[in-house]
Amino acid sequence: MHIPPWLLYSILTLIAWGVVGLLQKLSTNYISAESSLIWLVVGFLILEPFFYRGPAIFHYSKVNLTYALLSGLLNAVGAWALFASLKSGGKASIVAPLTALYPVVVIALVPVLLHESVPPLQWAGVGCALIAVILLSA
Amino acid sequence: MNEIPRQEAPGRLQPMLSARWFWYALICVICWGGWALLSKLGSREIPPDTMQFLFTVGTLPIGLALLIARRGRLEKSTRGIAYGVLNGVLSGVGGLALFAAYHTNGNTTLITATSALYPMITVVLAVVILRESFRPIQALGLVFAAIAIVIFSL
Repeated sequence: MHIPPWLLYSILTLIAWGVVGLLQKLSTNYISAESSLIWLVVGFLILEPFFYRGPAIFHYSKVNLTYALLSGLLNAVGAWALFASLKSGGKASIVAPLTALYPVVVIALVPVLLHESVPPLQWAGVGCALIAVILLSA
Repeated sequence: MNEIPRQEAPGRLQPMLSARWFWYALICVICWGGWALLSKLGSREIPPDTMQFLFTVGTLPIGLALLIARRGRLEKSTRGIAYGVLNGVLSGVGGLALFAAYHTNGNTTLITATSALYPMITVVLAVVILRESFRPIQALGLVFAAIAIVIFSL
């Protein structure tokens, strides 16, 4: 059986991130949400050399560099909130699918911030996401 | 007899709205929405691996702020620390595999959709390993979440 490389890599991502959802809950079983975030950042730093592509980094526009840095900042605040959710009794099986619905926020913000229209199918996705939130949290 | 269900019906949402975990999860969704939007904007010019590098630099101030807030005092649980660090490493490995997938010239939509369905794996692991209970209504919610995730990948 031939498995195409894109599928192999995608499945690796799927499994790695799926396991992360479990480990997030496990870490908050032993340490606080704040410590979990600090050690998460340490984990990120370990892989940092794999992503470094030399000093070319400083040649990108300041605006886009700011966006990239701010994206990390916001992700870390979100990750802390996720750990806090798990620490205060949230189940991994509920919190993981719930927090994966963050594209809803992007779809809601795109027309306002980027003045781009959102296709109707994406709004249908938002509808499904909202139903999912209600059913998952029931 | 009929009055009891009528009183209970509006109260069904009450546990969810009064639960702290729910509001924290909502804060996470809002922040990650901002992260996704800023990543989208930044990656118009910056390649994915460099975006990931800068992303980690961006997480540092929050990690340092929390470290200072705790005056450097962290719990000495080896397991907790190991799980915490592994969270970061596995997130990065998943990211690297995703970049590799995009480099194979495979269908971008299929790659995005497959990888974005990661919560389904978490649910299975949480039910099997952590023995978390998962009711039929929540399974239905998971189906809607999966549909939403696939639509968002299009």
